[in-house]
Formats: sequence, C-alpha cells, structure tokens
Amino acid sequence: MASTACFIIVSRNDIPIYEAEVGSALKKEEAAHQHQFILNAALDIVQDIAWNTSAMFLKAVDRFNDLVVFFQEVHELYIKILLNPLYLPGSRITSSHFDTKVRGLARKYL
Amino acid sequence: MANYLAQFQTIKNSCDHLIIAVEDVSDLWPIVKARFEERLPIKRACLNNKTRNPVYVEQLPAEFILTTDSRLRSRFPQEQSVFWFREPYATVVLVTCEDLDEFKTILKPRLKLIVQNDEREWFIVFVSKAHPSNDQATKLAKKIYAKLEVDFSSKKRERCCKLDIHGSEPSFWEDLDSKIVESIRNTLDRRIQFYEDEIRKFSEQRLMPVWNFCNFFILKESLAFMFEMAHLHEDSLREYDELDICYLETVNTTATKHREFGGVDHGDDQAALLKPGYKPLSQIVQDDSFREFEFRQYLFACQTKLLFKLNRSVEVASRGYSFVISFSKTLALHENTLSFCMREVWVITACLALINATISHYKDGIVAPDVEKEFYRLQGDLYSLSRIKFMRLAYLIGYGAHIERSPVNSAALSMLPWPKPAVWPLVPPDASSEVLAKEKMVFQANPRVKHFGIQRKPLPLEPSVLLREANRRRASLSAGNMFEMLDGRPGFTDGSGLDSSLRVSPLKGNVSSMSRTNSSPGNFETTVDRPMRLSEIQVADEHALHQTISDPDLWKSLSSLEGFEQKYLELTKGAADNYHRSWWKRHGVVLDGEIAAVCYKNGNYDLAAKSYEKVCALYAGEGWQDLLAEVLPNLAECQKILNDQAGYLSSCVRLLSLDKGLFLTKERQAFQSEVVRLAHSEMKHPVPLDVSSLITFSGNPGPPLELCDGDPGTLSVTVWSGFPDDITLDSLNLTLVTTSSVDEGVKAIKSSSTIILNPGRNNIILDLPPQKPGSYVLGVLTGQIGHLMFRSHSFSKGGPADSDDFMSYEKPTRPILKVFKPRALVDLAAAVSSALLMNEPQWIGLIVKPVNYSLKGAVLHVDTGPGLKIEESYGIEMERYTKVMQSAGDNGHAHDAGEGCSSVAEEFMQLTLTDGKVQLPDWASNINSVLWLPVRAVDDRLARGSSSVTPQTQSIVDGMRTIALKLEFGITHNQTFERTVAVHFTDPFHVSTRVADRCKDGTLLLQVILHSQVKATLTIYDAWLDLQGGFVHIGQGNGRPTSSFFPLVISPSSRAGILFGIRLGNLTTGGEADPDSILNIRYGISGDRTVGAHTLVAVENSESVGDKQNFLFRSALVLQRPVLDPCLAVGFLPLPSGGLRVGQLINMKWRIERLKDFEENADSCDNAEVLYEINANPENWMIAGRKRGHVSLSEKQGSRIIISIICVPLVAGYVRPPQLGLPNIDEANLSCNPAGPHLICVLPPALSSSFCIPA
Repeated sequence: MASTACFIIVSRNDIPIYEAEVGSALKKEEAAHQHQFILNAALDIVQDIAWNTSAMFLKAVDRFNDLVVFFQEVHELYIKILLNPLYLPGSRITSSHFDTKVRGLARKYL
Repeated sequence: MANYLAQFQTIKNSCDHLIIAVEDVSDLWPIVKARFEERLPIKRACLNNKTRNPVYVEQLPAEFILTTDSRLRSRFPQEQSVFWFREPYATVVLVTCEDLDEFKTILKPRLKLIVQNDEREWFIVFVSKAHPSNDQATKLAKKIYAKLEVDFSSKKRERCCKLDIHGSEPSFWEDLDSKIVESIRNTLDRRIQFYEDEIRKFSEQRLMPVWNFCNFFILKESLAFMFEMAHLHEDSLREYDELDICYLETVNTTATKHREFGGVDHGDDQAALLKPGYKPLSQIVQDDSFREFEFRQYLFACQTKLLFKLNRSVEVASRGYSFVISFSKTLALHENTLSFCMREVWVITACLALINATISHYKDGIVAPDVEKEFYRLQGDLYSLSRIKFMRLAYLIGYGAHIERSPVNSAALSMLPWPKPAVWPLVPPDASSEVLAKEKMVFQANPRVKHFGIQRKPLPLEPSVLLREANRRRASLSAGNMFEMLDGRPGFTDGSGLDSSLRVSPLKGNVSSMSRTNSSPGNFETTVDRPMRLSEIQVADEHALHQTISDPDLWKSLSSLEGFEQKYLELTKGAADNYHRSWWKRHGVVLDGEIAAVCYKNGNYDLAAKSYEKVCALYAGEGWQDLLAEVLPNLAECQKILNDQAGYLSSCVRLLSLDKGLFLTKERQAFQSEVVRLAHSEMKHPVPLDVSSLITFSGNPGPPLELCDGDPGTLSVTVWSGFPDDITLDSLNLTLVTTSSVDEGVKAIKSSSTIILNPGRNNIILDLPPQKPGSYVLGVLTGQIGHLMFRSHSFSKGGPADSDDFMSYEKPTRPILKVFKPRALVDLAAAVSSALLMNEPQWIGLIVKPVNYSLKGAVLHVDTGPGLKIEESYGIEMERYTKVMQSAGDNGHAHDAGEGCSSVAEEFMQLTLTDGKVQLPDWASNINSVLWLPVRAVDDRLARGSSSVTPQTQSIVDGMRTIALKLEFGITHNQTFERTVAVHFTDPFHVSTRVADRCKDGTLLLQVILHSQVKATLTIYDAWLDLQGGFVHIGQGNGRPTSSFFPLVISPSSRAGILFGIRLGNLTTGGEADPDSILNIRYGISGDRTVGAHTLVAVENSESVGDKQNFLFRSALVLQRPVLDPCLAVGFLPLPSGGLRVGQLINMKWRIERLKDFEENADSCDNAEVLYEINANPENWMIAGRKRGHVSLSEKQGSRIIISIICVPLVAGYVRPPQLGLPNIDEANLSCNPAGPHLICVLPPALSSSFCIPA
C-alpha cells in the first residue's frame, strides 16, 4: 500500500504543535505543503463540528473508528508529554522519543 | 403499460389540480357557477397524508367540471385505474325542485341512479329558488329538502345542504367547503390506499422476470403526482425518494445486463438536473426501464421542484451537491462511452445551475443561522467543485501555465485523475497553425519566477504527465499496452510532470520518448500513430471539447485566455465569498489568495496585496509556517512593487522570522539584505516592527545581578539573532520591569554604541544606571536598524529561538537584577575610645569597616574640626584591623588573621593626604582596616591644678575634638558615607595639691598629686615647681624634689605624689608677674596607639624611644598665702545635735564678726553693708530664703551679726553644707571657721509608719 498519511496535532489555538508523515509511500518534497494545506482546511470542518457536538470532533469528521486505537495510544503519549514540567502546554513538541513512538504506532495501526 | 408513458406525460402536463365534478341535474350550474368558483382555491383544507395524519393545506386549488364535460368522458376503465389521480375527487349534485310530486316521481329515482356508484364521493346541494317573501314557496322548499335529507343523508354522513339563492346563508358556504373537503379527503384516502396496494403487489413481483420498472414508475409517480396535486408535497417528495432508491437498486443489481447509459445526445453535457421536462420520458425508456443518465437527472429535478415548493433551498443545495458527486462518479464509469470531458463539463454546468437556482429561491434571514452557514458552505463547495473542473479543462487545452501552482490548486488537481476517454482525441488534420499558436503560447507564458530567487519545485497540477497519458490512450488503440509497459519504470510517473511537459521543449520531449520507443521491438513509425506533442494534444483537446460543450457561454470562457481568466475569477470569487459567509475562513482565505494571484498577474497589485495580507494573517495567526512561507514572498513582492516600504520591510522581517528550515540560507540572506537596504533607505517615517520571533533575548542563567542601592552596574544579556548574517544594530534598548510595584513602570537601559549581532547567540553588555531598590525582570527589547524600529517581547528559553514564534507564552519572571534597599555599606569609627594627649602629636585611629561591599577606589575626605590639626610631617598609615586587634591580645579574629596572611606584605601602607583626601588602597577594599592619622589637638590654656579646697571642675568637653569624615566609594564614587568622629584629648595628668604639713618654722610641705589621665604608662623624668610670688623654695634648691626618685613610673589611671618643700617668702619679690605657680613635669609616655595615648612615632621605630621623646607638662597651681590680717571672721555655727535627716528643716547659721576696722575704706558709707552669698549644691540642698543679699554690719570693731537660712537636705550621706561667702571682701581679709571645706552627715529620712501595711 503506497498511501501516505499525515498526522498533525493541533493545539487549542489551531497551531500545529506536532507533525509526522507516516506511511509507506516515497516522501515527496512538495507533499508536505499539501498535507499541511489540507489539514488546515480541515480545521474549518472541525470548527463547525465543535459547535454542534460535545463529543470527539474527529469522530464526526473522518473514519475515526478505524483509527480509534491509534488515537488512544497517541493521546496517552501526549499526556505523558504534558506531564513533563519542562514542556510548556501549547508549544511545539520536539521530543524525539514522542516522535519515534508515534511513528511506531502508526506502523502498527495504520 | 410502458406505452402509457407518453399519455402519462400529457396528463401530468394538463392537470395540476384536483377536479370536483358537478352533476347538474336541474340546470342550475350557470346560475351558481360564479359563486361556487369564488370559493376556490379551498382554504385550510384538512387532508390526510399517507400515514393518515391530518395535514392542513392552506390553499388547495381545484376546479369544478360538469360531468357532461368532454374531459370527464370517454375514458377507458384501464386508464382510469392507473391515472386515477385525474378523476374527480368529489361530485356535487345540484338539484332543485318546487313540487313534491315531481321530487318523488322524477328527481328521487334519478338521484338514486346517480349516487348508486359507490366509488364516488358525492353530496347533494339543494338550491332553493324560493324568494323569502314568498312564504309558501319557502315552506315547500323546506319540505322537499327535508324529504331529500331523509332519503339521502344517513346518520353517519350528512350528504345534503341547501342553498337559498335569494337568501344570504353564509353557513351554507362553510358547509359546502367542509363537504367538498370531506369528499376530497375520502377520495384521496381511498386512492392512496389503492395505489399503495398496487405498488405493494408490484413490489412483491420485483425479483420476477416479468417485473417492469416502467410500470412501477408509473404507479409510483402517479401517487406522487396525486400528492403533489393535493399539495401534500412532503408525501410526494417521499415517493420520489423511494423511487430514486428503487431505481438505483435496479441499476446496480442489473448491472450485468448491457444497458445504454445515455448522455450521448447533443446538449446532454449541460446538466438537466433542475429541468424535469428536459426530455420526455418516452424518449429515455429502454427495455423495461430508463436510461440512467437522463432518468436520474429527471428524478432529481422532480425532487428539487418539490423542495423548492417546500421552501427548502438549503436542502436542494445539499442534495444537489451529493448528487453531483455521486453522479460524477457514475459518469466516470461510463466515460468511455461519453464524449471527451463530458463528465467535467456536466459537473460544471450542474454546479452552476444549482447555484443559480438555489440562490434565486433562497430567502435570506428566514432560516436559523447555522442553516444559513450550511447553505453558504454548500454554495462554496459547489463553486469550488466547478472551479476545479474548470481548471482541469483549462489545463487540458493549454492554459496550465496561467494557473497558479498554489497548494490549493495542486491539492485539488494533482489528485484528480485525467479524463479517460476511450481514445484520446486526435489532432484534426488542418490544425497545424493552431498547433504553432499553442506552442507559441507555451513559450510566451514564462513560468512565474519566485521572488527573492526562491528555488522551489513547483507543485504539480496534474496527476501524471499529460503528454504521456494522452499518447498512452492513443497508443493503446493500435499497439496494445506498449506505453503501459514503459510505465513500469519507477520515477517517471511520480516525478514532477511539469519539467517534462512544460519546461522541456516539445521537440526534446519527442526525441526522448522516441528513443524509448525505439528500443522496443517493432517500428512504431509505421505501425503506430506518431506520438503527439503537447501542443498537438492541447489542440486536439480543444477541438474535442468544442464538440462536447454545447453551452456557448462555457465555450466562450474556454476559447480565449481572457475568457478563461474571467470565468476562473468569477468561480474563485464565488467560492471565496460563500466560504467567508459560512465562516469557513480557511477555505475562504485560501481562495482569496488565488484571487490575489490573478490580480498580481494582471498588475492589480493593490488588490493582490490586500488579499495576500489576509492569507498571511490567517496562516501567521495559526502558526502554519509552511503555508505562510508559500504566500509571504508573494505579498512581499506586491508590496515592493507598490512601494509600500513599511509593509515590504515588515514582510521581509517576517520571512526571516519563519522557521529556518523553510528557506535556504541563500534566500534568507536575500531577505536580510533587503531588510538592511530598506532600513537604510530614505524612508520618511521609522517603521516600528515586532521581531519577537527573530530576535530573542534572555538574562544570563544563574542568580540575578545584585546591586546595592545607588550603584550602577553592567547587565549581561544574551540575545539570539535569527538573521542569517551579521546584522548591525544602531541602538539597542532593554526595559526592566519591576516585579514588586506596578506604578514604577519600566526603566529603559540603553546600549551606548552600535552592536553587531552574529547569527545565533550573542552576549550583550549593557550599562546599568543606578536603579531604585527592588527586583527587576527583563521587559522589552527595542532597537533600531536604520529606520526600522524593532521591538521584541520574546524570551528565549535558553536555546536558540525555536519556531513557536506566534505564541504568547507567559513570560518567565526570573529576576535579572536585584537592587537592595539602602543599607550601611561601610562603617567608620574611632579605633580608640580612651583619651589622647593634648597638645602633642598623636595617632588617631579610624576603623574603616566595609559591610559586604567593596571599597575599591574609595576616597576619604578628612576635615578636622577646630582645635585639631593634622600633622603634615608624618605620613598617614593604614593597616589591617584584625592584626591590630590581635596584637592587642584579642584572639577573636584569628580566622580573619589567618586569611590575611597571604597579603601580609600589603597590609601595612603609608598614605599621603592631598587636599584633605586620602585614596584608600585596593587591598583594604574588602577587609576591616585602620587608618592612622597624625594629629595634634591644640589647647592654649594652661592646665590648672586643683587644690583640695577647690574641686576639679575640668569639663570633658574641653578635651573633645571632632573629625568630619566623608568616604566616597562605589564604582563611580556614587556612594558616600559621612561621619563625624569625636576624639577625646586630655592632659597626661591632673594635678591636685594640698598642704601636707605646716611646720613650725614656716616650711610648708606641698603635696602635689598627679592623677594619670591616660591609658599608658607615664614615666616622670623630672619635675620642678616655678613658684609664684610670695613663695620660695626651701633651701637654695631649684624646686626639684630629690632626683633619686626619678624616673618615676606611673601606671595607667594611678596616682603619684610629689612633695615640695616651700615657705612663705617676701610678697614683693615675685611681683604680680607670676600669679600662679607652675608645675613642670618632664615625662615620657610608653603607650600604644591602639589603646590610648602614646608617643607619635612610626610603629616600626617604636623600640628607639629615647629621651628626645620626653614631653613637658606644665600645670598651674594656685597657692594661697595664709590670711594675715583678717577683718571679718565667719563662723559656721554648730548644728543641732541628733543629726540631720533628709527632708528635715534646719536652720543654718553663720556668725560674722568684725575683727577690726577698715581704715582704708572708712569713708565709704556703704561699708556698713556687707554682701553675702550662700553657695550650695542644689542637688543636695534645698534653700529657702535669700541666697544673696546685703546685711548691715556696724563699722565698729567687734560688731557681729548672725545670718541664718533655712535648708532642707535632700540626700543622705556626707555632704558639703552650704557655704557662706562674702564676695566683696577680699579673701585675704577673711578668717573662716572651719577654714576649709568640711562635711556633715545627713541621715536617711525616718521611716514613715503610715506606709507600713500590717501583714
């Protein structure tokens, strides 16, 4: 499967704080822009949904249920990052450990 | 039944309302027609919907038709059952009768005949022509009507009503309405039931081979049409929805059967999804069903019509969008049977048709806000979809170079597959000129060069290379999959298509593709069509599209570049506006960026800049830097062209502020050079800019800088520069914010000179003027580069500035500077508290005690007070204080002393005083030290000895001298410390005398008692007495006592006595020149300056104390000659026995007796008066009465007087009693008894029993 997936964590203020391209396809140079663009545009939809539901927004946007384990595990990791006293909530996640783990999870579940 | 389709169509077209049949039995219709038809359409008709729930239809259109009308006649029963919806829904029987017999015989049987048909819903309207004035006729009519009711009405149902033509009966019309509605309702119910039964029956046969969709459709649509006629639109819509689902199921399940799809007629490219009557159904019928292309559009059109009737334009849009999407997929399946790009064209026209229809039906403001948002979002989606398809078409015919290769276009187009016609269209034979024109166009459209020389791989607008795709589709026609085999090469399909399709010249592309084909077996030149060049493909596409597109407007948009741009702009604007209205700001703003690109290309830089600004603001606000990096250079370029220097400068700085990885170093350097060039260009106004992400700063790690109040300092700040090269700052200011108080505001500190920031970390040292006490954190960094005034709020977190630039963190409040409250920084004190020698050079020790503060470079101003001067001939000495203390035997500072060992060589120093100032040495800056000042206290007065008669009255103030000290210290001598030190000086001795013995030969033994006044051992080498007149030494001596006693050593604070033998001599010998005797003492002193009085020698010479160091001390003594010729005698009369007690009144008495006359003063009459004065210590005595006064005493010898005065003793003990003095009488003429001072005993007060409280 030569699909590629782009995983971005966006903070409360719509700022991307973590970005990972996962998938088996060859990485294209120009693809990075496009992924960002598409995900940014997707925020419009999330924003709409945020007004309508108090449940998880992603559930309503995409095939969430296929990916639920992945998201749960990443959430666990994110909480660990948050617990780090040196991490300022809302700032970019630069932990290489986190990155490795997320990529590992992506290989496993996506 | 399929043959009925045409008929069905005409029936549907001809009747769109319910029919009410009128059975005009008595030829009454012409009379009542007008009044009946006034009732139409029927108001608030209560009907039952399919689920048998009442529905109120506000306006139900209907038509009265006579049963004799041709429209209701000549129908076959077969037709009737299918098209039952067009049959009358009620039958009104109009009768009148004026004769009872006639009713019975003629009318009643006729009526019975009419109403026997049970199928029909009927009721009878009896029209009474009787005039109200005609009583008989009225009665008759009533009678007949009663008969009628009996015959035709039942208990269940009233079937009769009566209309008086001449009377006004409003209740009749309501009755009529209700009866009509009742009939319609019943009929409708029955027919619904019928259709439902039929449909159910039909559905049961669905899987059987005989099943025919057309028949099912006719039944279903008949029902739907009936609902529509009855204005039950909801039900009608539901029928169509079911029909839609059912049809799709049919299509999908019977996919194996070869069917025609449709859509091959001319004009089919224009979507008919809103035109139900576009094609007659009979034309699209195929076998037992319909062609999908037309039929699905038809069904959708019917649904749309109903939705618009229900005022649900929003739903039209949403259903329409999903219909377009799903239908587009269906078209893709059948693409090889359709004309070239039919699918794209259909989508464009469908979207535009939907947009126009929904907008025209949409009534603003009547829906909820979120529905309105949804509506505009759908509009935006539709616009966006048509825009994408339009771009695809434009690309195919060669406008690709004019489409911005932006992320939005690329995202849309690069994932959209090429059209897949069965065969790619071929170039028409006579199109060589067009091919040339296309080639020319491609060459002329030079690809847009990015600003600042940014090198980026352009984003793709195509899923794969068009050249290859088209040729492959052609080649597969005749040579199998030869090109598809070649596709297997990796890196060819996913490589950037642009390079080979646009940059490489067509010839070269041709050659390369030829070389590949040459390697394969077979000679393609002969067997296969020559591969087309890109321009040929474009021309071929254009021709094919021209064939496909039937809409002249759409073709016009594609036939010229201007047309394309206009349409492109229209679609983009439509999408952007609608997205903005729907609050999908990201979608909207992105499309704004596309509009900006077009504006830019057309030279409308102003608009372009505005739009780009919006886009940049969005991305910057949300921190999507990759996207920002894409757009910001465009904005910068616009601003540059518009000569918006401030904006351009700001954009350049923002470009620099972006993540470093987003641009090459070379590009970043280009940004910087632009910034520098602009900043130093001739701008009128300075441009303020926030560079928080570019220049960050922080204090140095570690504890904050600590300063004492009033001290300046230097603050070291770390500044990170995000510039790729060194940058010169003209100035740099930093504000400090107090953490304690708000009102203090901020203090700016400035760097004095220009600063060059290297890329990365820089250490900046800033001079810090004295600050108020408190702790400070860093505030804002401001500075200037030419006209660029920048400020940065951003703290870096210890590393290089990372890219979370747009976030506002809470600033860390780690203090960078602490200024302490004012405190004592130094102390100056006198080293010695005991007295020093008066009139001799002495060292004054001043202890300089720094209190945790360096005295480096301190200067001491010394100002001696009156009576004190500095001995210039000696140097000032300075030494370590602890050492002094140690030598004094104090071991408490042993630790300090040990510490000072290393610098022992420096711990003693000679200093010089210049202009009253002393520069303190550096080694003394942190340690306690003593400064020895050589001084001499000057006192011109001769020391006076005291006799045992007159007590010592020397005041301590006499020996007090002051030195005003002012110490200037601190880094810039900003700190001062002032103190006035008091030093006590004294004579070495206090001398008191007493006559030890009076020998019979007149020799007086004068005892001179020397009290040592200093804390030093005094050694008396010699002492002699210069006697005043009237006294001479005994013998012929020079007044020296026996010399063998000398040197006489007197320990500190001890006493020594010297006895002189003198006798009274001739008074005249001395004369008045010598009123006092002078005691001369030559002495030496061996004291330590750290303790008290001492000899002033340098410390190192202290061993060589010799005679030269002897001092001479002179003290005046008062010797009194004995009284030789007393004139008056004063006697203290004894006190009462029993002693005195405190508080007891006593009478003191003195007796004055004249011993002889004053011959020399006899002529003075005042002599009779004697002045007296009582001297008493007020602390000991309270005196009542006159202390001073005159008493008269007779001139005669032997006269006496007693002066008495009442005193109260105040203290117990031996006290000196009050004394009586006679100031006018020379002491020599007085004889006192007792002669000297004496003491009396005063007892404590008697206990007062009244204060005793029994136990």
